[in-house]
Amino acid sequence: MPSSPEVTAAARPRATIVGAFLEGWRRVLRAPALSASVLAATALLALPLAFALQGMLEQHLGTSLEADRAVAGWNAGWAAEFGAQAQGIGRTFSHEILGFGGTMAILSGFIDHEELNPTIAGAVTAYVVVWIFLSGGLIDRLARGRPIRTRAFFGACGEFFVRFLRLGLVIGIAYWVLFSWLHPLLFSDLYNALTQDMTEERLAVALRAALYAVFLAALALVSLVADFAKVRAVVEDRRSMLSALGASVRFIRRRCIRVAGLYLLNVAALFVILRLWLQLAPAADTPNWLALLLAQVYLLFRVWAKLAFMASEAVFFQGELAHAGYTAGPRPQWPDSAAVEAIENLSRSS
Amino acid sequence: MFRLRVAVLVASAGLLPLGTQARVAQDPVAAPSPRNASYTLEATLDPTARTIAGSGRLTWRNTSARPAIDLQFHLYWNAWRDANSSWMREQALGRNPRLAERPADDRGGIDLSRLALAGGGDLLARARFIAPDDGNADDRTVLSVPLDRPVAPGETIEIEMAWTSRVPRTFARTGRIGDYYFIAQWFPKIGVLEDAGWNCHQFHAATEFFADFGVYDVSLTVPAGWVVGATGVLASPPAQATSSATTTHRFRADDVHDFAWTSSPDFLERTERFEEPGLGAVEMRLLLQPEHADQADRHFSATRAALKYYGSWFGAYPYRQITVVDPVTIFNAEAQGQGTGGMEYPMLFTAGTRWVAPWMGSQPESVTVHEAGHQFWYGLVATNEFEHAWMDEGLNTYSTARVIAEAFPNRFVAVERYFGGLAAWSYEDVRWSRDVDGFRLNAFRPVATSDLQSTPTWRYWPGTASAISYNKTALWLGTLERLLGWPTMQAILARHFERGLFRHPTPDEFFAIAGEVSGRDLTWFFDAVHRSSAAFDYGVAQVTTAPATAGSFTHTVVVRRHGDGIFPTPVRVTFDDGTRREETWDGRERWHALRFTSTAQVARVEVDPERILLLDLNYTNNSWSARPQAAEAAGKWSLRWFTWLQELMLTYAFFA
Repeated sequence: MPSSPEVTAAARPRATIVGAFLEGWRRVLRAPALSASVLAATALLALPLAFALQGMLEQHLGTSLEADRAVAGWNAGWAAEFGAQAQGIGRTFSHEILGFGGTMAILSGFIDHEELNPTIAGAVTAYVVVWIFLSGGLIDRLARGRPIRTRAFFGACGEFFVRFLRLGLVIGIAYWVLFSWLHPLLFSDLYNALTQDMTEERLAVALRAALYAVFLAALALVSLVADFAKVRAVVEDRRSMLSALGASVRFIRRRCIRVAGLYLLNVAALFVILRLWLQLAPAADTPNWLALLLAQVYLLFRVWAKLAFMASEAVFFQGELAHAGYTAGPRPQWPDSAAVEAIENLSRSS
Repeated sequence: MFRLRVAVLVASAGLLPLGTQARVAQDPVAAPSPRNASYTLEATLDPTARTIAGSGRLTWRNTSARPAIDLQFHLYWNAWRDANSSWMREQALGRNPRLAERPADDRGGIDLSRLALAGGGDLLARARFIAPDDGNADDRTVLSVPLDRPVAPGETIEIEMAWTSRVPRTFARTGRIGDYYFIAQWFPKIGVLEDAGWNCHQFHAATEFFADFGVYDVSLTVPAGWVVGATGVLASPPAQATSSATTTHRFRADDVHDFAWTSSPDFLERTERFEEPGLGAVEMRLLLQPEHADQADRHFSATRAALKYYGSWFGAYPYRQITVVDPVTIFNAEAQGQGTGGMEYPMLFTAGTRWVAPWMGSQPESVTVHEAGHQFWYGLVATNEFEHAWMDEGLNTYSTARVIAEAFPNRFVAVERYFGGLAAWSYEDVRWSRDVDGFRLNAFRPVATSDLQSTPTWRYWPGTASAISYNKTALWLGTLERLLGWPTMQAILARHFERGLFRHPTPDEFFAIAGEVSGRDLTWFFDAVHRSSAAFDYGVAQVTTAPATAGSFTHTVVVRRHGDGIFPTPVRVTFDDGTRREETWDGRERWHALRFTSTAQVARVEVDPERILLLDLNYTNNSWSARPQAAEAAGKWSLRWFTWLQELMLTYAFFA
């Protein structure tokens, strides 16, 4: 990636997807505060519910000797008794939170569009709003590729929050269509029609995998459009989210294979992380501190992977358009946007 | 010479000379069973039209003490003719309301075209559908056929019959999926005439079947090249029709009370022989789905375990063959239909597995042991499943759990299925346990009080009938085992098997045997667990300590009965110097205070410390600790849940 203001747009080579991918990861890894903040936000939203669950568990165990067995490992008998009387988030406490099985359950629930516990759904919604808020600052920071001050980071968050909420409304409608129309079309109507006389489960596995691929491709497409709309909104300081969406669609359409390739590279990175987690996920009797450490490291990798999507897309966009050299430019004077900085860099280099 | 001829005859019909050898040898004229409802049937499967054309002859002997003025037949398949049958209406009550919405093409039915006394007049014209259980005028699953002349006790008649059935998409383990056909309850089947009258119930959503023993000689014509599995043994080599389009397979089964069969062009056939000292050899014929070819050994080992343990604990399997059918997997019940797996018929049963079946998962072993076990509790001891389903399902769930624990120790863990049920994940931290998983306490807990178990099963609430029949019985049998010890429990079941073999034993007979073998009056026990729907829940309510004389303390332990169920309960108090006091509380009052004086402090209190009462719905409150670890446990597991929630939020926000 060009990193010097002396490199002109004309002289700059076309962005490669591997280059964008690697540069994206480099920028993410060089922004540890960013990753830590996102992980902290995740923890802050999850903690109140975890405390609530802790209270429920402690109350149910009371002075029982079952607690001794629960400390030693998974106490299936007690967990089932707890689940039978639990309300609210307590109902989500089962062995399906354990290790990589928990990951499988989450991914399966998401892709099969299973209903979430209402309280958990509320937490997820809050978290999505937090992501929308943070997105402006995250993209701005990752697009610049160098540290900015906290004030500048949150300034960008605030700057783009309402814009991204408007964008989220449009994107949300797209997701809603996917889950309420395409999902039942694929996994109820089509799947049922094709399997009603199917006698081999392995064919159903292949069929369902193909349907998942179709659905995930649709999700990925919407996600890509949204991602590049956000990138363009931040880098080009766009006010209109509809125009950002249009610009995103045009950008993707003109280089669809490379954009898809970059997306798949990022997906592959995610799979590598999941594969590692499969090996390292703690067992029920793993010491608590180690289980927590392993889980947080895994979640940190997941945060990195998510940020790497953003960063590599920003890098790719910058590499494709004329003003990418700004990333090594002088520190901006807030409230200058990344785009102003890029234009300054461009004018300087030309 | 005569003995030899009978032995050969019995063996040729599928009955082993072992197991029932003594009976046959002592009285060569008598068959092991009453053989009062025997069928000679012919049926042709037309896969294109999805029909079965059947005809045949029933030889029926009145074994009751009363003359039969009419005959009553089950026409089970009419339950799936429309949405108005009692079976369909009951499905809508807490089971599966969507079954009634199946398209017409998926439904089934049976139409009689001939019913006549052999060499006599037509009986069909006067036949009418009756609904003895619920008066549902739209139900056509029981046909009453008035007779011109009553059939006297001990008299035998022959009935000729012909019918056409439309094979449904699978309902209740019967029907078709693609080219796979599983055909059960498929012919006009006579009810059981008892001294009190006909025991011929309508087809109900939550119950199975009841029939008399007989000899079945059945010729099945299917497309050439299709594999056929059926109750009994092949009586003659399959005969191909002149046109070569069809093949007829003739099966014969003696001393059985039902006949089911299956056919598919895809079955792989495997055979192995079961041999165990003291038990007769049995040919195990396994019809496998091709995609489960690598699971043949798992099916055989589970069948072998059932034949071995049930055989040695209760009594030998007396037939010389058992057919294990691996059914088409139902991975999408909404589209494919209900499953045909996990069902028992004499000398044949359906197991059930998945393409991805983890070694540590209990399928197919668990279902295979269970259904093979039904050869004993149902097939041989033929209790009335309409009225006392607990007698076969409950005894068998209990027995299955014991076999699994013996034959596959520490192997199974919880397996959950994801991504539309097509991917499996083994939770190695969640080990299979006989009490919780084998007896299915968790399924019973939420519905513990839904029905009085002594109510006829067909009157149970359809949505919870299984838990009361299967799980509650297994739990109280497990409780009885802990009260009496396994040797006594085994002796009870062995005597029940011995006396019930080829008969229809009643609940009272079983209860009497339990008392007789244990040498105890167990009326209180069966009153509590069987003739009551009360829930059991005992717990520690309070532990207090007050100074007594110098250096000693008075400890008061209050235990409480939270549920309505009453059961004598031991209470154990352990002091911090290691000493123990144990008392048995009769469990009748709502609470009970125990007082101890000791120089030591109470360290722990346990109500029912050995967990004898498996029906106790909440065992967590059964104990008290002076140094409770609830905070540590809650901290540990809420932290695990916390990271799970973090991951869930990250996953769902991925596309944000």
